[in-house]
Amino acid sequence: MLKRLTGLVKSIDSLTTAVGRAASWCTLGIVLIGFAVVLMRYLLGLGSIWLQETIVYAHAALFLLAAAWTLKEGGHVRVDVFYANASPRNKALVDLFGALLLLLPFAIALFWFSLPYVTRSWAILERSPETSGLPLVFVLKTLIPLFALLLALQGVAQAIRALVTLKLQQMIRGKAAR
Amino acid sequence: MALPEFLAIMMIVAVCGLLMAGYPVALTLGGVSLAFAAFGHIVGVMDIGLLNALPQRIFGVMTNTVLLAIPLFIFMGVMLERSRIAEDLLETMGRLFGAVPGGLGVSVVLVGVLLAAAKGVVGATVVTIALITLPTMLRHRYDPRIAAGTVAATATLAQILPPATVLVLLGDQLNNSFQAAQLARGVFAPASLSVSDLFAAAIVPGLTLVALYLLFLVAVGFLRPGAMPPIPPDPMAPRGSALARQLGTALLAPVLLIAVVLGSILIGLATPTEAAAVGAVGAILLAALRIEGGERAWAWICIVIFVFLIVLRATSGLSRRPDLIVTLMLIVAGTLAVAIYQVWRAGYLAPTVTRTAQTTSMIFTILIGATLFSLVFRGLGGDDMVHRALSDLPGGAAGAILAVMLAMFLLGFVMDAFEIIFVVVPIVAPPLLAMDGVDPVWLGVMMAVNLQTSYMHPPLGPTLFFLRGVAPPEITTRHIYVGIIPFVAIQLCALIVLWFVPGLATWLPRVLYGG
Repeated sequence: MLKRLTGLVKSIDSLTTAVGRAASWCTLGIVLIGFAVVLMRYLLGLGSIWLQETIVYAHAALFLLAAAWTLKEGGHVRVDVFYANASPRNKALVDLFGALLLLLPFAIALFWFSLPYVTRSWAILERSPETSGLPLVFVLKTLIPLFALLLALQGVAQAIRALVTLKLQQMIRGKAAR
Repeated sequence: MALPEFLAIMMIVAVCGLLMAGYPVALTLGGVSLAFAAFGHIVGVMDIGLLNALPQRIFGVMTNTVLLAIPLFIFMGVMLERSRIAEDLLETMGRLFGAVPGGLGVSVVLVGVLLAAAKGVVGATVVTIALITLPTMLRHRYDPRIAAGTVAATATLAQILPPATVLVLLGDQLNNSFQAAQLARGVFAPASLSVSDLFAAAIVPGLTLVALYLLFLVAVGFLRPGAMPPIPPDPMAPRGSALARQLGTALLAPVLLIAVVLGSILIGLATPTEAAAVGAVGAILLAALRIEGGERAWAWICIVIFVFLIVLRATSGLSRRPDLIVTLMLIVAGTLAVAIYQVWRAGYLAPTVTRTAQTTSMIFTILIGATLFSLVFRGLGGDDMVHRALSDLPGGAAGAILAVMLAMFLLGFVMDAFEIIFVVVPIVAPPLLAMDGVDPVWLGVMMAVNLQTSYMHPPLGPTLFFLRGVAPPEITTRHIYVGIIPFVAIQLCALIVLWFVPGLATWLPRVLYGG
């Protein structure tokens, strides 16, 4: 049972890491396209809505798709007045209850409420309000439930990892007692 | 008090309480707000259908072009740090000022301010500055209290100096509130507040604080030279032309980069996002220049042609030769590509991309959690309650602002600047800005300086905890608490002066942008 669960954690981790790492390179894209837009505007007097929107898309993909990976890497800020000095057991408890009671309901609710919003957009294959903009607004909107889904998966992984830590602690203490 | 308003207050209490447990802030905000929405729905004081507005709000965040500046500024800051430009800068500055008592402390403040300005995430800034500067200061027998105080104060100050991330986010939120407040008063062509306004407004107060810090350090250096001894000259150190060259590359280049980025925003030549994109590319090129060997020629070519293009454009010498401009632009693009490849091979690029992505994602996830919070808080009638409470306070606008400042100061002990900006500002700013004679630019600077003060105020200021976490063992918590006191005193004085002399904040934006 334990082995199967850790296997699940590993697959989730590698999925969110792959997605997050891929999304993280959007930063370089934002920098370069942003620079190109500046050059074009100031040197040639040209503006491109198409390029502008590409930056917006890259930025949205960056922070939405990297969120679950950031959670795994411990990159989301915590108030660590107490957490920093807490025992491994207490940290695991915080992570377990946090994942089950805060993260999962939030991610599931976000997924649930964004689904009709996204379906509506897909139904008309929503395009940019600008005529020369990207015709892919429905893809952009799909990032919202995707964000929720990845975050929920990572929440499951976090909860399992916390459970395993607690179990190990218990075993160690059991041995020590004997 | 009616039930929904009681729930709204309980929601704030629950968020603050649960945050202390240490689960990631963004998810705590989201989870608690959802729980209150569900409870409100069950007892019939709130319609959970309100949450249908959530995706549209998030989409608004995704397509907000002002916030695009955030990853760009972070990229610039992280790149300058990862390519060790920051460390070199400190070393060179220390050599420049080290011979006078207190000189190293002065360099720490200057370098910290220069580099951390681009970061804005207070925890990361404290950690970086502390790791680079504390060992050097202690090795040169600086009083640990002064060393700790200088690091904590400098890192926190960097939060309010443009182009700090905090100012970008605060400017965006205040603008939303400003528009809402004007609409509520029946102004149908509302004025807007731009991030550039806030940048310009923060400069005079920010630099005043830097000057006061420096004055304090120099004074201590002269009165108690034993606490901040001069650094003995290093016989191995370069002199003459070698020193000049080192000053050029280590000091001048990053200073110039930040000056150009800030300057182009302030004189209105570029939007913060555009300037940040140029700054990020500039940081890549500076990193490429540091790679040993002949490869750096590419970065030089790129820089020279880019500057040449800008000069030609400014003198409009090439406006009739688009073919030449395009050719030169292609050369810039090609050499930039080579420089990026070299920076990647030198191992600077991948860590920069990772850190930038995670920091950006962290900030925006908090914004998403806070969006849900605001939605539920409004659904429970919390907004109206705050509005009424603020208007009923004695002393009119001054009383209301004082109350908000006090509340933000206390919240600063528990929450990060981002949470306060995303959660508190949208609630309190619209009623404040709807009152007579409240200047949004001034309010923004007051909030920023106030938050910054709360950040380093013992016993709970987060900066002090971050510093405690990375400080070497010979620095005790007591050293940190005592060392920060003079800086907090300076800070509080500045806040009081700013209260009575709003011109400190409003003068520069008025000169630059009129109105």
